[in-house]
Amino acid sequence: MLKKIQNWFDERIGLTELINEFNGERIPRRGGWAYTFGSLLAFLFTVQVTTGIFLLFYYVPYFPMARNATYYIKHHVFLGNILLGIHLWAAFTMIFFLLVHMSRVYFSGAYKKPRELQWIVGMVLFSVVVVLGLTGYMLIGNENSWWTINVLTNVASHTPIIGGFLRIVVRGGTETSVLTMQHIFAVHVWLLPIVVILFIPIHLFLIRKTGHQGMALEYKNSKLPDDDINKWKHPDATVPFFPDQFYKDMIISLAVFAVVYILAVVYGAAIGPMYRPLALNFAPEADWYFLANEELLKYFPGHGLIIFSTFLVPTIGFAILFALPFIDRGHERSPFKRPAATVLGILFLLLLVYLTLIGGEPKAPATV
Amino acid sequence: MTKSSEESPSRRTFMMVVIGLISAVIGVALAIPILGEVLSPLFKKRDIVWSKLGKVNDLANITPLTPKFIPVYFRVKEGWTVNTLPRQVMVVKDITGKFYFFSNQCTHLGCPLHWIPARQKFMCPCHGGMFNVLGKVVGGPPPRPLYVWVHKIENGTVLIQNKFVDNPKERGV
Ligand code: HEM
Ligand code: FES
Repeated sequence: MLKKIQNWFDERIGLTELINEFNGERIPRRGGWAYTFGSLLAFLFTVQVTTGIFLLFYYVPYFPMARNATYYIKHHVFLGNILLGIHLWAAFTMIFFLLVHMSRVYFSGAYKKPRELQWIVGMVLFSVVVVLGLTGYMLIGNENSWWTINVLTNVASHTPIIGGFLRIVVRGGTETSVLTMQHIFAVHVWLLPIVVILFIPIHLFLIRKTGHQGMALEYKNSKLPDDDINKWKHPDATVPFFPDQFYKDMIISLAVFAVVYILAVVYGAAIGPMYRPLALNFAPEADWYFLANEELLKYFPGHGLIIFSTFLVPTIGFAILFALPFIDRGHERSPFKRPAATVLGILFLLLLVYLTLIGGEPKAPATV
Repeated sequence: MTKSSEESPSRRTFMMVVIGLISAVIGVALAIPILGEVLSPLFKKRDIVWSKLGKVNDLANITPLTPKFIPVYFRVKEGWTVNTLPRQVMVVKDITGKFYFFSNQCTHLGCPLHWIPARQKFMCPCHGGMFNVLGKVVGGPPPRPLYVWVHKIENGTVLIQNKFVDNPKERGV
C-alpha cells in the first residue's frame, strides 16, 4: 500500500529522488556533535513560532492591558504558564546557542572563502533574533518593558542625523504610547519572524552549495595546500545528513528542549509589576543578554561623548563582526595555526562575560 | 510569430528591460504608501496641554534644597486614544526662594531618578548618573542638566505643560 502511494508520487514528481537528494547531504564525519548547533537553532526557532502563535490566542498589544493579558495567560489559562515559560526560556536558550554556534564557526575558520556568505547571512539572523528578544521583553507590558522601550528608543535617537526621526518613527510619536506598543507587536510577530523564515533557508542553501566545512581536523589527510580553495571542499570522510547527522541533531535538540521544558515548568516566566509611571524607587533592568551593552552605556560621560556608547562603539563592533570574512582573509583553518584570531576570539568572549557580569550593577562614579 | 530571446539578442534585451520596469513600477507603487504609513508620525504635531500642579502658597513652605515630588496628570491625544499621562514634577526651592520644576527623567537615556537624602543627590538607577539638587550633573554619563518643565503661575496656581524648557530635540517627556 505505502509502496503504491510512493509510486503514485514518484511517477508524477519524482518524490523519492527529491527526498534522497535533500537527505543525502554529505557532512564531515569526525566532528558531528560540533555541527549540531545550527540544527538546534532551527529547531528552537520552530518552537518559538509554534508557542508564539498560540500565545496570540490570548495576548493584546495595548499598553497597560498587555501586562494583564500576559498575567492571565500565566495564571488563568490552563497550562498557559508552561506555554509562556517555553517561549521565554527557548528564547534565552536560542540567544545562548547563537553565541555557541558562532564561536564554533569562528574558531574553525568556517567563514573563510568560499563560505563568506554563510557568515553574512548568519549575522543577519543573529541581529534579527536579538531584536526579537528585545521586542519580546517590551511586549510583556510591565515596568521593565516600559523603561526598556524608553531607554532603547532614546539610544536610537543618538544616531547621527536620522536619530530624532528614528525615535519618532519607532514610537509612533514623540512619546511612548499605544502606537509604540502596536509597532513593537507588528515587528515582533510579523516582520522579524518572516525575515528569519526567509533567511534560514538561504543559510542552508548556501551551505549546500559550498559544502559543509566543519573543523580543521576533517582535512588531516588532505595533500592540498591550505590556500587551495578545493582543499576545504573535500573532507577526508563524510556521512549522509540523514540519518547519521540528523540523529545527533535530534539527541541534542531533545536534551536542550528537556532543559527548556524543566525551566519553563519550574521557573516559568516572571511577569513583574504593572507599569507605575509615578514610582519613585523603581530600578529598570535589562535582560541578561543585553547587560554587556548596558554596561557600555555607563562609560563615556558628557555631551560630546555620549555618541560613543550609544552609536559608535556598538556600530563599529558590529560592523567588524559582520565583515569578519573580509577582514580575516588568511587561509589557515586550525585554531592553533592562527593564534591571533584564536586569542582575540577568546578575549572577546571573556570581555562579553565580564561586561555581562558587572552590567547588572549600577556604576557609582568616583566623583561623589 | 515574434522571435524568441534565443533567436534574437535584441528581443532578449527588450524583454529584460520590460521585466525590470514592471518590477520597479510595482515595487515603487507599493513602497510609497508603506513609507507614508511608517513615516506618518513625523508629520503629526504633539498634543501640548497645561495641567494644574498646585497652589503657590502650598509650595511656599516646602523645605529649601529638598525636592518634593508632586504628580501631574496630562490628558493628551495619542494616536487614536486620549490618555492620561501621570508624570512626576520634582519641585525644588533654593535658598533665595526661587522655584525649580524638574522632571524626574534622567537626561542620559530617560530612566526614573531616585532622590538619595543621605547624599543630597538625584541618582539614576540605570547607568549611575548623578545630579545635585539644583539639577546640575555631578557624575555619570548624563550630557546635560535636569529637564525643567515648561510652567507658569496663574491666579496663584502653578500650571505645568507636557514639554521641557530648552529641549530642541524633544527628548524625554
Ligand atoms: C537562527 C540562526 C541560525 C540557524 C538556524 C543556523 C543554522 C545552521 C546550520 C543548520 C548549519 C549547518 C550545521 C552546523 O554547522 O551547525 C549552519 C552552519 C553555519 N552557520 Fe549557521 N545558523 C544560524 C545562525 C548563524 C550565525 C549567527 C552565524 C555567524 C554569524 C552563522 C554562520 C554559519 C556558518 C559560517 C556555517 C557554516 C559552517 C561550516 O561550513 O562548517 N550561523 N548554520
Ligand atoms: S539613564 Fe540615567 S544614567 Fe543612563
